[in-house]
Amino acid sequence: MKLTFGKLSAFGRALLRHKGAAAALAFLSVVALVAAFADFMPFDPFRQRLVDALKGPSQAHWFGTDELGRDIFARVVYGARTSLTTAAGAVAIAAAVGVPMGLVSGFFGGWRDAALMRFVDVMMTLPAILFAMALIAILGRSQIAAIVAVGITGIPSFARITRAQTLTLRSRDFVVAVEAFGGSARYNMFRTILPNSWSPILVQVVVLCSVAILLEAALAFLGVGVAPPTPSWGEMLRSGKSYLHEAPYYAVLPGLILTLTILSFDALGRAMADLLGERYEIRKSGSEGAA
Amino acid sequence: MNNRRIAFVRVLGAIVLAAITTVAIPGHVRAQKLQGTPLRVAILADMTNFDPMQFSLVNFHLIKNLYDSLIEYTADGKAVPSLATEWKIGEGNKSVRVTLRKDVLFHSGAPLTSADVAATLKKASDPAKGKNVYATMGIVQDWTMPDEHTIVINFKAPVPERQILDLLQFTMPIEAAGIDTVETKPAGTGAYTLAGRAVGQSVTLKANPKYWRTGEPVSPEIRFTVFSDDAAASAALESGAADIIYGGGARSAVRLRDAGYTVTRGPGPLVQVFRINTTRPPFNNEKFRQAFNYLMDRDGILRVGYAGLGEPVALPWAPASPASNPAYLKEFAYNLDKAKALLAESGLSKQEMSNWKLLVYGTDQPTVVISQIVQSTLAEVGINIQLDVLEGSEYVKAQLAGDYSATFGGVGNVQKFPSRVATNSIYRTKDNPVLKEPHPFPDYVAAIERVNSTYGSEEKVKAAYDHLNRVLVTSAFAIPTNSYDVGLIVSSSKLDGFTPDMDNLFVARTIGLKK
Repeated sequence: MKLTFGKLSAFGRALLRHKGAAAALAFLSVVALVAAFADFMPFDPFRQRLVDALKGPSQAHWFGTDELGRDIFARVVYGARTSLTTAAGAVAIAAAVGVPMGLVSGFFGGWRDAALMRFVDVMMTLPAILFAMALIAILGRSQIAAIVAVGITGIPSFARITRAQTLTLRSRDFVVAVEAFGGSARYNMFRTILPNSWSPILVQVVVLCSVAILLEAALAFLGVGVAPPTPSWGEMLRSGKSYLHEAPYYAVLPGLILTLTILSFDALGRAMADLLGERYEIRKSGSEGAA
Repeated sequence: MNNRRIAFVRVLGAIVLAAITTVAIPGHVRAQKLQGTPLRVAILADMTNFDPMQFSLVNFHLIKNLYDSLIEYTADGKAVPSLATEWKIGEGNKSVRVTLRKDVLFHSGAPLTSADVAATLKKASDPAKGKNVYATMGIVQDWTMPDEHTIVINFKAPVPERQILDLLQFTMPIEAAGIDTVETKPAGTGAYTLAGRAVGQSVTLKANPKYWRTGEPVSPEIRFTVFSDDAAASAALESGAADIIYGGGARSAVRLRDAGYTVTRGPGPLVQVFRINTTRPPFNNEKFRQAFNYLMDRDGILRVGYAGLGEPVALPWAPASPASNPAYLKEFAYNLDKAKALLAESGLSKQEMSNWKLLVYGTDQPTVVISQIVQSTLAEVGINIQLDVLEGSEYVKAQLAGDYSATFGGVGNVQKFPSRVATNSIYRTKDNPVLKEPHPFPDYVAAIERVNSTYGSEEKVKAAYDHLNRVLVTSAFAIPTNSYDVGLIVSSSKLDGFTPDMDNLFVARTIGLKK
């Protein structure tokens, strides 16, 4: 199914008719909009007022305040920015490396396929969180490091899905025809096969977003994510757990938003897979396509 | 009306009597009013070894239960006998003659003699084996044993009395025959003997039946169980699976106190210090450093970082220290205007002032929080800095090597003789890993030397302490913010008889159930 504007538009309309997908899209849109326009809101996630520390939710502070008297809602909003940009960056890295890898592997086969897939196998044996922590230990603690770490752990899933799609399409008439007319391998991979493989890759993008957000939060929770005072949902959970008795809202509310965001990405991914008629088994620890 | 008055007088009388009883009755008599019970103590880290000279926080729960000191300090710093019944400081403060108790047995059954104390001093003076006591032994020339129960310690130069007492309090005799194996097998005279250990899980101690203090230990057994974190230990206490938490965090201690548990704080806290590497710009500028005396919101730091358990301080002393001087806290109170004036005097541009990172120990939540407070305060005066958060050993390595511009870190030995502060890396007068050699603050080195060599009249001693305090705030290579508790004890309200220890070590021998 080649990617065209018409098909995308029809797909979008179908998504909106799907109740689960519509709800997920609505929630994610709100999160994305709020994150994008956070600077225009009357909140400052860094402003400390120690006298207001650990105050419960109120009209002035919708989600209450943290141990430094900072507004938790403001930090959740700016934390969304951290999570979403990390997810977007990580997915971009994973797709930029994984998709060409899968195309080359599936298109050429032979030793190239064997070498690339064994490399992917090795990567898949490494627990994502450990790999990311090791990488951050080398690169240092920053959002860029988190993006690179999470992105690299997503490469195998893109490579495997794209390879599977390429293997299916490789012997189809339209691909063979391009080859017969003298089309280069590069042209065939990127202009013929890739546009016809978009549906499982799109699903994988959405699924990996949820994995990336979760992994970024886990890294921050373990103390190796973005450094404070930069707001991050995982970091808020880490700090908030120390105050669970006195201020349960501190950990619970950011945790709730994190959960809803991941659930929304997951629901959206599943709905997309249903609508695209793909028979995917979506795996959180690295999705794998089997057409 | 008369009846009510009589009842009131009775109640008042009972309160006064109870207060007098508490203050006047000695520990061992008070212990008789308690009932022994197996004590279940939750701790947050496993011990490393049984050597009383390896004075590490993770061994604090064992040391004073397996060993006794020559003398002890009361909570207000008064020296009282323990294994030594008497100590006489010789002519010119150049020696001390210590008389040992005659009825003390080691856990092996061997009697305590001056030869054991001599063997302990020999180990302490060995650079490889002396561990944390080695620095304290720096004043000792040699020692002699006139008889089996007397030892005379000679000093290299005249030593102030308080420094001599610190040495005796820090000396915990190890049986001479057990010195080589003390890391794995305790060899002390303490109220408890080792009964068993499951590595990473628990340590069990049994009461020493031949213990020399009458009526002690009150309880027959202590089982220390290692919990993974503060919350798990708190849950164990609240569910009745533990009777005591030793060494937990301030915030959970405050919460448990509010829930009816007893919180016991010792006289030997640590002091949180903003450590400055003066070899690096912009901290090589004195005025810039001095501004930090006024940039510390000490009350806020104490309240947010340590749940208010501690005291704000502007000098590196605990309240029990003879050099403690609360007037400095007023003089160097949080004041952004004074800080701004000093920053202006420094002649540095905003960019130069902001060109450094604050190293943060990410594993320790209070320092993460207080570092953010400082970061925010600095932003208010136009200094925008980043935090460099490192975890675990990565941080410790950087801190010990002095590989930072500034960082928060606790300092100990702040309740004893003032020059003991120089055992902490940032305050070292020799081989300072942060300030390097030659020491960039000769005034500070001289002030420590003056404290070490001043004895006699109280006025002269006080002048030496005052001089040291003034030098500390002027040189400003370390900015103390607050004292905080180490070795906090949270216990069930059914228990009583906690004995405060000058180093906040856990002393179990007097603890029992209220009758």
